[in-house]
Amino acid sequence: MAERRGVLARGLTGWAFAGPATLLVVGLSIFPTVWAFLISRTRWNGIAIPRPLGWANYRLMAEDPELWDSVRHTFVLTALFVPSSILGGMTVAIALSQQVRLIKFYRTCIFVPFVASSAATGILASYVFNPQFGTANELLRRIGLPPQQFLEDPRQVLVVICLIALWGQIGFTAVVYLARLQDRPKDLIEAAMVDGAGRFRILWHIIVPELRPVTVFMVVWQTITALQLFDLVYTTTRGGPLSSSTTIVYYVFELAFQTRRYGYGSAVAYGLFAVTMVLTVGTILYSRRSKVEAF
Amino acid sequence: MKHISRLFLATGAAFILAVAGCTNSAGVPDNSKDAAEGYDPKAPVTLTWWTGQTADAQALAEKLAKEYQAAHPNVTLNVSAGAAETGELLTKLSAAFTSGNYPDISYAYGTWAAELAGSGRAQDLTTFVGDPAMAWEEFPVAARATATVDGRVIGVPAVVDNLGLIYNKKLFDQAGVPYPTDTWSWDDFRSAAKKLTDPSRNVYGTAYSVAGSEDTTWHLWPLLWQRGGKILDGRKPAFNSDAGVAALEFLRSMAVDDKSMYLDQTNEKYLPLFFSGSVGMVMSGPWTLYDLKANKVDYGVASLPGFNGDHQTVSGPDLWVLYNHSDPNRAGASRDFVRWLTSKEVDPRWNLAIGNLPLRASEKDSAEFADYVKTYAPGAQKFFDNFANAKQPRPAVTGYVEMSGYVGEEISKVLQGAAPAKGALDEAARKAAPALTNG
Repeated sequence: MAERRGVLARGLTGWAFAGPATLLVVGLSIFPTVWAFLISRTRWNGIAIPRPLGWANYRLMAEDPELWDSVRHTFVLTALFVPSSILGGMTVAIALSQQVRLIKFYRTCIFVPFVASSAATGILASYVFNPQFGTANELLRRIGLPPQQFLEDPRQVLVVICLIALWGQIGFTAVVYLARLQDRPKDLIEAAMVDGAGRFRILWHIIVPELRPVTVFMVVWQTITALQLFDLVYTTTRGGPLSSSTTIVYYVFELAFQTRRYGYGSAVAYGLFAVTMVLTVGTILYSRRSKVEAF
Repeated sequence: MKHISRLFLATGAAFILAVAGCTNSAGVPDNSKDAAEGYDPKAPVTLTWWTGQTADAQALAEKLAKEYQAAHPNVTLNVSAGAAETGELLTKLSAAFTSGNYPDISYAYGTWAAELAGSGRAQDLTTFVGDPAMAWEEFPVAARATATVDGRVIGVPAVVDNLGLIYNKKLFDQAGVPYPTDTWSWDDFRSAAKKLTDPSRNVYGTAYSVAGSEDTTWHLWPLLWQRGGKILDGRKPAFNSDAGVAALEFLRSMAVDDKSMYLDQTNEKYLPLFFSGSVGMVMSGPWTLYDLKANKVDYGVASLPGFNGDHQTVSGPDLWVLYNHSDPNRAGASRDFVRWLTSKEVDPRWNLAIGNLPLRASEKDSAEFADYVKTYAPGAQKFFDNFANAKQPRPAVTGYVEMSGYVGEEISKVLQGAAPAKGALDEAARKAAPALTNG
């Protein structure tokens, strides 16, 4: 009996520690998740009594051209954003790990845009890239290039949004890489130097492989960031011009809170959730199999 | 440990059932009898009032609430903005209905009326506004129509407005173009916009929002009405008629052929650009008066340009919606408060003080109105007079909000040269039809 009571007491102590956090997670994540699923099987404008539809909203997704457009935009953004934020972050981190004067000042400069909220970044950028009155065109004019439409040209808008996102996010990837670079294997580098390896070969054969686990983690992290891009789109273009910058999450927002189709909006959100989950699990499995300890 | 995880599972299951109950909108009050039947004016009640206001207007609302409570000691008013932004009130209300903890009185955009009526929580005020003490006829006709859903009155006008043509005198003088008049035709408007446009100085004749929200949509309605068109025919879209196509084609010719129209992707830039002298004319309403004054713009206001002498405009009234809590004392007290707030004695100290037009025609003789007209000259008097041109309301039907989204999106495509007017409006009508018929 005493033993059983001990187990019970230990269990209760465990729950006493985990309980508050569990309640928070259940209340703020699991509750809305379950509820959104129930809503996704209805037609609901948020106010009137919801009408059950079964799986109709999910079937609708397959034949909704606007959804597929927003999927395409999201993939273009992800394909532009993930590699460039990782390469950019790695380059900046390697540069910042050198012994240079005022290095702390440079590090702060790189990190500050990440601390600024992306809503503020977006509002600022929409002024900079305004085709009629912005400073970006002024700059182009001074160096003798023709003015661009930037955020108001359906062909340029995704690239410009990606640039704005990079401005905020490179600081983050750089800091993560920098942390890893702080404990690079000094003995290995010294050994390589003794063997006569040049700086570039040390970089390529020792430092970059050392960064692999961080890179796998950053790929997953930045992919999720790109897939969930919303605030920049909201503050710069509202999905325009001509819906050419509507990302999946912005489309969900538009469905639920502008056209008030909560049911279909929730179904699309679930679709995105499934894709994100598959991508994440896939990457974790890959990294385990190839023995890169990222997770 | 096992029984603990079983306990956890059971809690989880109970919790999912509880969640399932949430979307069933349980707890809709009984609406078969009048919500205020058996109201005792002396009974102590606590009312919650969501004003939808910020800053100065919110402070004034709180002051008025205190004044009302001093005169009615049995009434306690909990005053709050309700949401950080007026547009978010509908989401807040929808959450409040789900939890059962909704306010007694809330501010609401006119376009929400049908959805709020459909919630089953709004009071039926039809007999209440019929009381001569309410003087219902003094409100502008479009505002009364907006508050009436399927013959049932669910709210009282809170703010009234209409669209006029605001122009920047300095830009007209520079271009040597005569100022707009109340008898202008759309062709006069177009040719003036063309003359004002100067790409080398980044000056546009006029501006239009292509963000695709209601701001995009409702600017089309007066043009449609002037040509004899209708938004809806019963519960079917009718805006894709020849009248609608001609109206949109006119805007397209300015935006695409003349390039005299600044297209705002966010609907937040065109007014600041007008204030700073980069846009010559905007179709807008009295809510700009405060900023026009603050920015010291030398401006004038005319009625909207017309088609065949018809200069009608559109009005976008907002409402105070009253809710039923199955408590006649709360229902009765909230009615009494709203009657007081919108009366011709109190409204001048509320709407006129925060720069809005007076709710009631009878306020035009008040000292506050004379003050208001002087403070916001020349726009205030002109917008007040322009009520005569607000002849038709926007339809108060469920599904209007969804339809407005589709129409706005298609207008944006046309103005950016990506679709022909006819095809775009047909597409919007096709998409909107199910929402209008099914709600």
